[in-house]
This record gives sequence, C-alpha cells and structure tokens, in this order.
Amino acid sequence: MARALAGLAALNVAYAVVGLSILWGLRGFRTWGDVLRLAGLGYLLGVAAFGVLWTALLTAGVPFGGIEVAGSLVIIGAAGAVTALVRRSTVPHGIGRPRATPILLVSAAGIALAGLYLEALFRTARLQSLQSYDAWAFWVPKGKAIFFFHGLDEHVFTTTPNAPYPPLQPILDAAAFHAMGGAEVVTLHVQFWFLLVGAVAAVAGLLHGHAPEWIVWPPVLLVLVVPRLQEHLFVPQADILVDVLVVVAALLLALWLRDRAGWRLAAATVLLAASVNTKREGIVFAAAVLVVAFAVSLPRYWLRLAVAAAAVALAILPWRIWAAQHDIPAGTPPSFDVDRIGAAVRLSFDVLYSTERWSVVPLVATIALAAAAVWGDRRLAAYIGLLSLLLFAGGVWSTVGFVELTLTADESGNPIVRYTGSIVLLAAAALPLLLSSVWRRDEGT
Amino acid sequence: MVVLFCVGVMLVALVWLYPQAFSDANREARANAALDQVDRELGGGNSVLPAQAIAVEARGRIPEDESFTVAVGEPRASWSLLSTPDSLEHYMRYFLLPRRAFPDAPWILCFACDRSAYPGATPVWEDAEEGLAILRRPS
Repeated sequence: MARALAGLAALNVAYAVVGLSILWGLRGFRTWGDVLRLAGLGYLLGVAAFGVLWTALLTAGVPFGGIEVAGSLVIIGAAGAVTALVRRSTVPHGIGRPRATPILLVSAAGIALAGLYLEALFRTARLQSLQSYDAWAFWVPKGKAIFFFHGLDEHVFTTTPNAPYPPLQPILDAAAFHAMGGAEVVTLHVQFWFLLVGAVAAVAGLLHGHAPEWIVWPPVLLVLVVPRLQEHLFVPQADILVDVLVVVAALLLALWLRDRAGWRLAAATVLLAASVNTKREGIVFAAAVLVVAFAVSLPRYWLRLAVAAAAVALAILPWRIWAAQHDIPAGTPPSFDVDRIGAAVRLSFDVLYSTERWSVVPLVATIALAAAAVWGDRRLAAYIGLLSLLLFAGGVWSTVGFVELTLTADESGNPIVRYTGSIVLLAAAALPLLLSSVWRRDEGT
Repeated sequence: MVVLFCVGVMLVALVWLYPQAFSDANREARANAALDQVDRELGGGNSVLPAQAIAVEARGRIPEDESFTVAVGEPRASWSLLSTPDSLEHYMRYFLLPRRAFPDAPWILCFACDRSAYPGATPVWEDAEEGLAILRRPS
C-alpha cells in the first residue's frame, strides 16, 4: 500500500514537472512564486500532454510499459525545456514578494480550508472500493487491459460497453497501475484525488491577480463541497477529468481574450486536445469553447484560433481512425426526436438549477453573468454566457438524440447530471472574473 | 452591491455546506477503513455477485494466461436484483483481468447455469446453496 502510494505520488509529481516544463517553454517564469502559482495548471498540462501523446502512440501500436511511460515523460519534459532554452524563456529567480495585506490572510484562509478538506478527501480516497457500474464495466477494464496487455487490446476495447469512448482516462489508469506496481483498483482512487488537487490549484492559480482573493475563494471552495460533486469526486470514470480539462481551457481562453498572451491559447489547446480524447462529450465541449472564442474575438485573432482548432481536430484523429478500423461506431446521437425537446430542456434546466445538487452556484453565476453584462466586462459575460448556453444545448441534444435515455435525472437512465457538471464547474471558475469586473467598475465610479 | 450580495450568498452556503462535507468525508473515510480486505477488493461485486467466494475462488484457480466464460441461468431467490447476466459477465471480466473472457474458454463460471450445455466439464469449486460453480472443460 505504502509503495503503491509512493509510486503514484511520484507519477503525479512527474506530471507536474513535465507540465511546468511545457509552461516554461511557452512563457517562462519570473519567480519561483510564479512556478508555485502555476503548478496546478502545469500538472494538468502534464496529464493532458501525456494522455494525448499516448493516445496517438497506442493507436500506432507502440507498447505501453513502465519504461516507455517514464521515457515519454522525460521526452515531453525535455521538449518543454529545449523550447524554453531556444526561446530564451526567463528562468525563475527568487520567490517574489507577497504583499503583507489583509487580503493575504484571505488567501491563507482559502488555502487552509481547501487543504483541510482535501486532506479529509485523501483519507476517503485511500481505501475506497470500486463501486460504480460504469467504472468496473468499462473504464477500469480498459485501463487494466492497457496495463496487462501493453496496448489497446482489440478484444477488450471492442467488446466492453461504450466502446466509442476514447482511451485517455484508461491510459492514465494504466500509467497509475505501472507507478503502483500492480493493478490496485483501491489505491487507484488516489489518482483522482491528485486530479482534484491539480484542478483546484490550477483554477486558483490562474485567477490570482485577475480577481480579488475574497472573490476568488468562495466559489472555488463552494463548488468543492456541493453535494453532487462530493459524491462523485473519486469515481474512476472520465467525467470529472473532461470537465476539469474543458473548464480550465475555457478559463485560459477567457483570460486570453483580455491579454492575448499566446501561451494561454497554446495551453488551452493542449487541454482541449486532451478533452476530446477523454469522452465523447469532450468533442462537444471543446467545439463549444472554440466556437464561442471565435464569436467574441476580433477577426485579426481568428487565424490563431483556427490553428488551435486545427490542432484539437488533429488530436481526435488517431483514436477515430483506430476505432473506425475496428468497426467501433462514432457514438454520436443516432436520431433527433423533436417531440422530446421540450421535456429535455425542462430536465436540463431542473438539473442545472437544482440546489440539492449544486447548492447556489448556478443561481449566483446567473446573477453575476447578468451583472457583468450590464455593469462589468461585457465581452467576458458574452463569452461565459454563450459558452454556458452551448453546453446546456449539448445536454439537451444528448437527451433528445439518444431516445433510449429516460427523461429523468436518475443517473441509471440519463447522464444529464454528470453532463451538467461541466456548466457548474465553469460557473464556479468564471464567477470571480465576472464579479471582479463589476466590482472594479463600482470601485472606479 | 450585487458583488457583495453574491459573495455573501456563497459564504452563507459555504458556512452551511463545508462542515457537512468535511464531516461526510471523515465518516466515509472511517467506513472505508472499516471494510475488510475482500469487501474492499470486490467493491461493486458485493452488490452484483450472489456470493463473494466465486470471484475469489476464480481468481485463485484460473491461471492468468487462461480464459473463462460466464454462464448464467435462472436467478435464485436469494440473489440480488443486480445479479443480471450482463452485470455478472461485465463484473467478472473486470475482476479477472488479465484472464480473458471467450465463449469457448476452458473455465466456466456457472451461475445456476445449465450444466448440460458443457458436456464433460467438471466442477472444481461449488456452492450448491447459491447455485454457483467453477467448471473446467476437459483439455
């Protein structure tokens, strides 16, 4: 157990180092404080780059073993470092000087509360048994198959339920098994804990400096403890991962719309490329993020967005080609039953504004969105509003298109609750930006 | 004003939910720690399998490089409603990997199955009360 935990910790530290190396290549770091602030984003970038690379390698028949996993991490990390050296990216010096203000106490309190709760969640994840049907029916078997058979075993990948789902999550599971020294499905839950820590750190780190800390921490902490998320944080499925990848990419693009820093677009592209290889709806999510970014950008930025969109589209191809070669269907909604639209919209709306599931996060986000549209950053409000609408429409489409789904929030009959998680996480991540845009205007008047 | 209102609402919700979530996480951690090794290892199998022993015995008896098939007959009254043919097959496929599942495999995991469909197969383990057996076809 201790050896498995140590191995898993080492793997996740490696993801963070690799991702930080990518960030160093993309933007450089002025201080070690910068490195610490962006460590969460670096971690997600490391996970995403590793997953995208191995999706392509596995479809090409490259064997997936412990040495290959370590080698690939070294290669990605070295590529980031070489890029940094070629671009003469700044090397971090010193730790930066945190300003000793009352706001620092707010940050400290936010980090302490998040840390305390995450510690309790670690103890939950450490000995959790694998209960979820989807996890043992196909997600984890695919990860085990990659681990045991060193690749996309044709028998397992074509005969388990939901065969069209792309393999990025099973690849991460298989890497975790290698790091643990065996297919330990109990300790595997800790891998999902690491993803959660990375996601919290990424969102808090990205928002630092873009919104006052007293506006940043309430939504970040609240979304962590909403009943629905709490129940499903460590289910070894790809739902949380795809949501995190898309929401952090959307946040990066929201900030890119403000400062047009190229590294943000590049990092968002890597995360979106991973999201389209994580779940089928990742394609819908990524397309929505990019379409809305196009819609709210001036034409002179379209070429950069088009390059990003092309890179994401390219990243889908290896798995799609492999799936087509093995007669796995695309998995798109097979029909469009117009009669179900009204009920599907009502269901999606009820689920989204369910305080039992998401507490007040969607309600407050709706108010913040309206306030930002009237008094704050209108382009940001348009971006977040349109994106939320498209994600909402995607959920409706799925209920309308898959007629076998029941018109109910019961997850055994319809995945709409899981799907809606992406909108709620987006709301929580965007709330500080929306509210701070209104607050700064208030302060200025 | 609207900003203070939004932050205030979130703080109230946080004050309400954080202690509950923290307490739930601790309670779940204790419950997970209290599980015995087999319960924890089987996880969802505890709800699906008529008895834990068939999974544990199958893992112990079937070599990792051999294959098995799952045969399910009429469910017994004592079985869970979740003990459907699909669930049993998917669960055993997950639990027994790297052992592969093929219809003509030498090992048969029999859940109240029709044994006459497997002529010559002999039981290597059996739980007659639940109608469970691990059969081995002659090689």
